[in-house]
Amino acid sequence: MSERQPVEVVIVGGGTAGWMAAAGLAGILKPEICRVRLIESDEIGIVGVGEATLPQMRDFNSAIGVVESEMMRRTNATFKLGIEFVDWGWQGSRYIHPFGVHGETIGGVGFQHRWLRAAQHGREWDVGEFSYAIAAARANAFDFPSSDPGAIDSTYNYAYHLDASLYARFLRDFAETRGVVRTEGKIVSVQRDGERGGIASVTMESGKVITGDLFLDCSGFRGLLINQLDAPFEDWTKWLPCDRAFAVPCELGGDFTPYTRSTAREAGWQWRIPLQHRIGNGYVFASAFIDPDRAAETLLANLDGAAQTEPRMLRFAAGRRMNSWSHNCIAVGLASGFLEPLESTSIYLIQIAIQNLIKLFPQAEIDPALPAEYNRLMDLEYSVIRDFLILHYRANTRDDGELWRHCRDMEVPDSLTEKIALFRHSGHIEQTKIGLFSPPSWLSVLLGQGVRPERYHPMADAMPLDVQLAGMEKLHTRIAARVAKMPSHAEAVADFCPSEAGRALRGAA
Amino acid sequence: MSRVRHVAVVGRDAALWLSALVLHRAMGPAGVTVEAIELPSHLVPADVYTAVPSLSGLHAMLGLTEPDVLRTCAGVPMLGQRFVGWSGGDDGFVHGYDLRQPGIEDVDFLQFWIHARTRGMNVPWEDFSFAASAARMGRLPLPDADPESPAALAPGYHLHARAYAGAMRNYALAQGIAHRATDQVSVETAGDRIASVRLGDGANVGADLYIDASGPDAALLSALPGGEAESWSHWLPCNRVMRASAPPLHPLPPFGEITAFRAGWVGRFPLQNRTALVAVYDDAQIDASEMAGTLARIAGTSLREAPEVAAFASQARTPWIGNCVAIGEAAANLDLLDAVSLHAIHAGLTHLLAFCPADTTDMPESALYNRTMRATFESLRDFQITHYRLNNRTGEPLWDRARATPAPESLEVRLRLFAARGQVPPHDEECFQPQNWAALFVGHGLIPRDHDPRVDLMPEREQIIRFHTLLAHIAESVRPMPTVAQYLAGPTAG
Repeated sequence: MSERQPVEVVIVGGGTAGWMAAAGLAGILKPEICRVRLIESDEIGIVGVGEATLPQMRDFNSAIGVVESEMMRRTNATFKLGIEFVDWGWQGSRYIHPFGVHGETIGGVGFQHRWLRAAQHGREWDVGEFSYAIAAARANAFDFPSSDPGAIDSTYNYAYHLDASLYARFLRDFAETRGVVRTEGKIVSVQRDGERGGIASVTMESGKVITGDLFLDCSGFRGLLINQLDAPFEDWTKWLPCDRAFAVPCELGGDFTPYTRSTAREAGWQWRIPLQHRIGNGYVFASAFIDPDRAAETLLANLDGAAQTEPRMLRFAAGRRMNSWSHNCIAVGLASGFLEPLESTSIYLIQIAIQNLIKLFPQAEIDPALPAEYNRLMDLEYSVIRDFLILHYRANTRDDGELWRHCRDMEVPDSLTEKIALFRHSGHIEQTKIGLFSPPSWLSVLLGQGVRPERYHPMADAMPLDVQLAGMEKLHTRIAARVAKMPSHAEAVADFCPSEAGRALRGAA
Repeated sequence: MSRVRHVAVVGRDAALWLSALVLHRAMGPAGVTVEAIELPSHLVPADVYTAVPSLSGLHAMLGLTEPDVLRTCAGVPMLGQRFVGWSGGDDGFVHGYDLRQPGIEDVDFLQFWIHARTRGMNVPWEDFSFAASAARMGRLPLPDADPESPAALAPGYHLHARAYAGAMRNYALAQGIAHRATDQVSVETAGDRIASVRLGDGANVGADLYIDASGPDAALLSALPGGEAESWSHWLPCNRVMRASAPPLHPLPPFGEITAFRAGWVGRFPLQNRTALVAVYDDAQIDASEMAGTLARIAGTSLREAPEVAAFASQARTPWIGNCVAIGEAAANLDLLDAVSLHAIHAGLTHLLAFCPADTTDMPESALYNRTMRATFESLRDFQITHYRLNNRTGEPLWDRARATPAPESLEVRLRLFAARGQVPPHDEECFQPQNWAALFVGHGLIPRDHDPRVDLMPEREQIIRFHTLLAHIAESVRPMPTVAQYLAGPTAG
């Protein structure tokens, strides 16, 4: 049998998606398996995909061999324990969706059922008090989770806030030292492969023709390659009507939070992402419900520090591409779909696309079973995130804007309707193996948005009530005692991964 | 709005008593009473229950210990099934019940095997299975072996069916579960719900929740709108089951043996005091008297008494309608391959506890339960269909047809991906894990065309060392394991 030839991979676009793909392929598959060329134009700006991430990103970084402290230092990164949602369910409400569990499952009965039972017996606890990640977030504290599964501080995980442009830049260095070839320039045309139906080559402005076996379309919303193929866009704007965002960085101010904050506004929501040297802010809004100028004003009026630039506007539409792997072309990142950064899923979706591609990495001649499985897995990922995002809008009782009234009454996917109804009925949350958002995530958002179960699991009554309440008291105390000993988030960052910009600011202060 | 207080379990044999026990155990402390309505047994003296390793988890939950179960039920622990005559090769293959899928870093070991095979290595895949290797050597690990070891295995069981059902019955009654026996039941419905169940003596039984554990006819569920069965015979074509007994085997093998013949298959399942024989066949290909002779011939033994024949049809129903939940064969009547019948009961009960109805009048939990159980049963069905679909017996109408009949798309997709790349797609609700599917596919001769390219990153010399190391490790792990007889005698007997 002959040695197989390396697959020639051409990545079109050099944003977060492009460089994550290049780094992933170079870091895991090596040049013996695939030779990677990345084409990007310095003239085309990149959309700095969401600066808040999910804990899964740690797996990606460690799989390709990134050193965490170095990556954090070079991207001005901070730690993230979850997302705080302010005014979402109703004005004046506040909850954190943590990277961690609430309480523990005992005898097959999830914690929420014991919490509900306590409430029905007059003990109205804030469910967040039973989540270590939430307690730490509220204390603006951070420490690495314990690896001892019996320890209370093993019950959470963490992610990062980072500058996505710097992360792309960091990965570019990483990829280039591992053999990825970068080609600068604009693509002027794309040639189809008449015989096999995929992409044969791309032609550069210089006239140079670049061929490849496998093309990754990381060109962002334009979908330069995937648009040529049979990969129709499935529109989700009827459920997720926000279609624009203003983004603006500001100087540090307010708490140095180990969590992202999302504050609901009249026609959308505002993000707040603390980095080491500045805070990233943005207002995601539905242009059907607010004048853009007013949205920009609102954003600027709600910053914790002085704005560092003029607000920059982005346009988008919620939805995803069916068959994001079509023939020899795989759309990754914004080219494969867009979901607003409400739950910090953009980088996750890039990452999972790369991981699935590596698991199913083809030869130059692509067996159709591989894209079929890839597309199945990506469909599952997108659908779960879609439903989870819609939940935030659907379950609201705000009365200050047309957007919220519209969302409260809208028809949502059956899968979500059933989920909400079942939770309301008896606190049940389904556990699935594939895709994001395990039961603790659903629990925090369902409760946080004001969906209150009417009943709890019948088996929760098996434990004597006083025993149960004592157990809850003890858990609560254990969490509080351990959190009190954690370093502050600022200390943890300064100690582990101080960036130059962050150090300069602290020195000046 | 009110809580479920009373559950009536109507059924027979293992499905009845396991359901009653599990519900009593889990919900009794929460104030729920469980009543067992016992219908006449369907079991014949020759019947056997074959169980994948998950049964020990159920027993542990119920507080049953393995030595007691094995002693009471003439049970034999086992690590898999050997398939002979299905897809060529005189020796067949063993599907071993490994707990883990070996890998090197992130890549399944199977991928290295696929590659090595193209380089001329001729060690069969099952030789890299701890379970299959131990089974072929007639050995199995003691129950207290280190569960973290890569060689960790948990046995499944062959159990004398009447003894097992009887033991579960006694155990349930000893727990104080209320019990009534009846020769028949009829159902009083109200819309899509059961209003009451009338027994043979005219007594009426009312409950907040009814469990139908009555077997393939689904005495309760079939009375409700939507309770009719969907046939799976198209893919699982046999329509008769014959059961018989033969003298015990010496030494006792820790596996069942499943031999295909022109009209179906014959299973030989060792018990301590006899050998249970089962033939699952198509009566259009062979009549009952010829089948009896064939059964004895294939089993290589004489029958102790005249075999019993029963009709069989593979089918499934929507298991939860209104206030009635079907458990076991009432929900899905699967082929008898792969030792899954008790697992199907267990899975139905586990999910019922997870999606336990919180209210007597409104049970929206059923939608999620039905979807989950549908996926569970279809996965088991697809596993069984694979044996038929990948058979290599040509010139025999049953088998030619089974090979030519397209499998459900869910299985065809799996087959295509495995044929392309040796991968098993991850799914929710699976009894059989990727290592089981891989053993099944490779065992039936489906050899992937390509491997994961990451395999090529390891120098070939090192790969060869890894193969030798794993084979040596398996051999060393298996050598000191007890034989079945030693295992049954207990650790003190040495």
